[in-house]
Amino acid sequence: MSTLLIWIVLIPFLSAALMGLVYLTGLRSNHLFYTITGILAPLLSGLFSLFIGWELLGSSADVVLHVEAFQWIALGDFDIAVAFMADRLTAVMLFFITFIGTLIHIYAAGYMSDDEAYGKFFSFFNLFMGSMLLLVLADNPIIMFVGWELVGLSSYLLIGFYHQDAKNIKAANKAFMLNRVGDFGFIIALSVLFIALEGDAFTFESIKANIGFLDNSLIALVGMLLFVGAMGKSAQIPLYVWLPDAMAGPTPVSALIHAATMVTAGVYMVARFSFLYNEVPEVGEFIALIGAFSALFAALIASYQSDIKKILAYSTMSQLGYMFIAVGLGAYSSGIFHVFTHAFFKALLFMGAGAVIVALHHEQNIFKMGGLRKHLGLVYVTMFIATLAISGIPPFSGFFSKDAILAAAFASGNYGIWMMATLTAMLTAYYMFRMLFIVFFANGHEYSNIPVLSRMMTWPLVVLAVGSAFAGLLGVNEAYGGSNGFASFIALPDRSHQLSHLAEYMLGFLNVLMALIGTGLAYKMFAVSAKEPIGDTFWKSLVMHKFYIDELYDRLIVRTLRMLSVMSDKVIDNKGVDGILHLFVSGYKTAGLLFTRLQNGKVRYYALYILAGIAVMSLLMLDTMEAM
Amino acid sequence: MLEQLLLILPMAITVIGAFFLMLLSWNKRFTLKDYNLVAVFFLMLSFIVEFPQLSNTEIIYIFPEVFGTMYIIDNFSTLFDLMFTAGAILTLLINTDYFKSRNYFNGEYFALVLFSVFGMMTLAHSNELVTAFIALEIASLSVYALAGYHKNNRLSTEAMLKYMILGSMTGAFFILGTALIYGAVGSTTLGDIALFIKSASDSESLLVITGGTFILVTILFKIGAVPFHSWVVDVYHGAPFPVTMFMASTFKIALFAIALRLYLVDFAPINVIWSELLQVITVLTLIGGSWLAISQDNLKRMLAGSSIVHSGYMLIAISSIGLGSQEAAPAIMFYLMSYFLSSVGAFGILSFIASRSNKALTFKDFKGFSQRRPYLAAMMAIFMLSLSGFPSTIGFLGKFYIFTSAIESGQILLAGLGILTAFISVYYYFKLIAMMYFYPTDEPQKKFPMDLSGVLIGLMAVLVIWGGIGTGLIPFIPGADGFIDIAKQAVLSLQ
Repeated sequence: MSTLLIWIVLIPFLSAALMGLVYLTGLRSNHLFYTITGILAPLLSGLFSLFIGWELLGSSADVVLHVEAFQWIALGDFDIAVAFMADRLTAVMLFFITFIGTLIHIYAAGYMSDDEAYGKFFSFFNLFMGSMLLLVLADNPIIMFVGWELVGLSSYLLIGFYHQDAKNIKAANKAFMLNRVGDFGFIIALSVLFIALEGDAFTFESIKANIGFLDNSLIALVGMLLFVGAMGKSAQIPLYVWLPDAMAGPTPVSALIHAATMVTAGVYMVARFSFLYNEVPEVGEFIALIGAFSALFAALIASYQSDIKKILAYSTMSQLGYMFIAVGLGAYSSGIFHVFTHAFFKALLFMGAGAVIVALHHEQNIFKMGGLRKHLGLVYVTMFIATLAISGIPPFSGFFSKDAILAAAFASGNYGIWMMATLTAMLTAYYMFRMLFIVFFANGHEYSNIPVLSRMMTWPLVVLAVGSAFAGLLGVNEAYGGSNGFASFIALPDRSHQLSHLAEYMLGFLNVLMALIGTGLAYKMFAVSAKEPIGDTFWKSLVMHKFYIDELYDRLIVRTLRMLSVMSDKVIDNKGVDGILHLFVSGYKTAGLLFTRLQNGKVRYYALYILAGIAVMSLLMLDTMEAM
Repeated sequence: MLEQLLLILPMAITVIGAFFLMLLSWNKRFTLKDYNLVAVFFLMLSFIVEFPQLSNTEIIYIFPEVFGTMYIIDNFSTLFDLMFTAGAILTLLINTDYFKSRNYFNGEYFALVLFSVFGMMTLAHSNELVTAFIALEIASLSVYALAGYHKNNRLSTEAMLKYMILGSMTGAFFILGTALIYGAVGSTTLGDIALFIKSASDSESLLVITGGTFILVTILFKIGAVPFHSWVVDVYHGAPFPVTMFMASTFKIALFAIALRLYLVDFAPINVIWSELLQVITVLTLIGGSWLAISQDNLKRMLAGSSIVHSGYMLIAISSIGLGSQEAAPAIMFYLMSYFLSSVGAFGILSFIASRSNKALTFKDFKGFSQRRPYLAAMMAIFMLSLSGFPSTIGFLGKFYIFTSAIESGQILLAGLGILTAFISVYYYFKLIAMMYFYPTDEPQKKFPMDLSGVLIGLMAVLVIWGGIGTGLIPFIPGADGFIDIAKQAVLSLQ
């Protein structure tokens, strides 16, 4: 059974390699081959994941499947195996990564059908899937790091997929470099942990078993550094700026990055290290605070954006903020639950947006849309469901997961975080319905020849709409008459705080109220007619320019670094280092020339050197012997 | 009886081949190519017959009733034999073109190569000092003759004369050392010497120490350690290319066969005495060698100077042995292997070019070489990188093991100096790369020569890279670690 784990990871990689090789040999127009190979990989991995999930569902909560593929590095005691593990957390991740991944693959087959580099796209796509599965299934942090890096690489390849445009390359570079900053934190954290644990059997299980022996401040350091890695991958303040730019990739890529893979990696990693974060709750609180700020900040920016994909990008960042609030405050299962439900509705939103974009011949500005309800009925209905879900309207899935997070924030006594999160909930409803109303309601535009969307693109929307509507029912808590099924299945070590049912009702009511206020505002402002916002006031222009954070980073970091490197090139290197070096070199060369003079070609001199050498040697030996 | 004969068959084949070649050269009908083929055939045969012995783990004395323990066959000597024969085969094959282009080669040349290989093999097998001396002289005399093979060339003759005079002078120290040791021990067999040293008091072993020091002089001379180095540059420069190649790669290895046997086993208890002396000589060799190398314009002289530096690295490991490093002896063997591959490759390319022109090759002649001959230039660059110890080549691993052994035995400063001279060596090795790649040329591009020497040089370039990265990176295919294991096993067979 556990060998299946190897295949879950291996199949996408194999299919990526196969498609890549075929593509390189020049067989580029055979779309059917790429479609079948491309979709089959996540489908098979998904089926195997279901088996794994079924197996784990049937056994007790602490059963963990392990399998070792091969020994990778063995240097003395340092011993790293390419090994995989699956517990219930993994099973949940596997399920939605492969399920939603498959749907996105099917959708992509329709979306990309006219692209010349179709085969290359699917090869990269499966590389992405494989990397994410490797990350999730890793039995030790080293292998997880390999997956982590591969996710960064494949996202780079996909974001820069339309490489003919220099702007896209820039976006890809930005994503890659900011992720590297995060990865640096991650690798340092692993190194510190490795040294502290003295390296033996560096697997999650052994780390968990030995974490108690470590100093608390050391654990806090490791936790912080790990979170730096999570900041990069999961786009939290301050390493979030790559995420909106990552929209440069094809829309299915955005769907994959935002829903099934990549951005969830950071949340998953924190949950995977839950045993570590439970030792240092104050680090967790910091994480939650960053999450809350990110959530609010992104929601504010999203409210003023006019590019449909950017709105969704900022909403992802905002929702990720919620997830970090949850995992930071120790409500791991609520966090993962939100990852789970978010995957459905965010994938749906992106794919719906992609459908709109295709229908309007690659128009992304929402203010050039309007009234599309009549033309794109199915897209409208499904996106409406997704919007309801993300805004937290019961009984759609987002309500239950978000409610659980807000309840956890309230119960833990971090009222500041709770308030920010509640405010964000209102903003979420506002900007999401703003988008929906502008695109599908507001009067306005005449459309000529809207193409018929292929079934490959529409059916996945329907499936996801069903998911977005009902996935939340898996985790209804006791207050609403459920049994808290998701949390008890996933069995993470939550730091739980009890809350009375009355309080939960009150909170739930408040959330719905906030969402309704946001919706109402959006309706009033945009449902009939919509104008593009103009940055006429200071506040508006500040938000519209995304708080000038990109410019700030450019000034503070990029230019400073450039200046420093120019200086070290021109002054330190050219004058200082080279100068000293030249001094040494010329001295050494002179010495060499003098020494070569001894090499005068006369054998009697050579004999003299030898005899002199022997004489000195003999003296030295005499001295040594005397000492004996 | 028959089994014993079988064991010495590789040596017998080599010497029979030498005699056969001499008989053959009596007849004028044969061409150089025929001689070359016959010589390679005998060496190949010897190699093939010997190869299975690598799995032999016992220590066998040949004809003990007659020779006692003079002549030993163990894993260590087998490995060295294989390196000698392989080195000679490669030298002969790579220089096929060179032989054709020069009219002074004839059948005796190949006979002399085989004789010297026989001498080296005997040296590796000798377990007794007088035998070792005779073997060393067989090898050396053949190499003296080889160095002066270009009779009408002033430089070549001068090289032979210098080498012979100085070599004989230092050779005398070997026999003097042997005599002193005989005086103290009453025997010249290595086992007896070891027994004596173990039981003798300090004052009793003084004579042995003096003898050992004198033997050391010969060894240091042959590997070109400063201040016994002065012949190296002149002789390497004067000798014909194939001979220089043979001396730098194969003959140098031979000296370590006896040096390791002596100092690793028999002198082991008193090794420490020499470590201070060796350290001084190592420092001199490293610095002096690099001084010589950086001030040369002629490539042959540069490689000669740098070969002194490489001897210095191996001396680091020798003094590490004295200070009790376990890794040092295998490190030397690995280093010999890596140096062998890279220097044969580099000399091979030089001789390849020299066979097409009569100029003395200087740095300037290589300007724009990468455009004229891109493949050869790439290979040359690989060999230069390996010689300078650049990572991902076998030369890096060789240096890495040496420095590890030095640090293991606490000679941090010596390891530091070694690393420093490795940096300096980058200057003269990369100078060639820069010449090849950073200068334009007007000459048209020439085709890659798909003949034996070209292919062999290419193969060595691949081996240099493979030996540098082949470990662990690709599962299930052995790389450099395979060789270091063989070397460790060979060293173990000594004890």
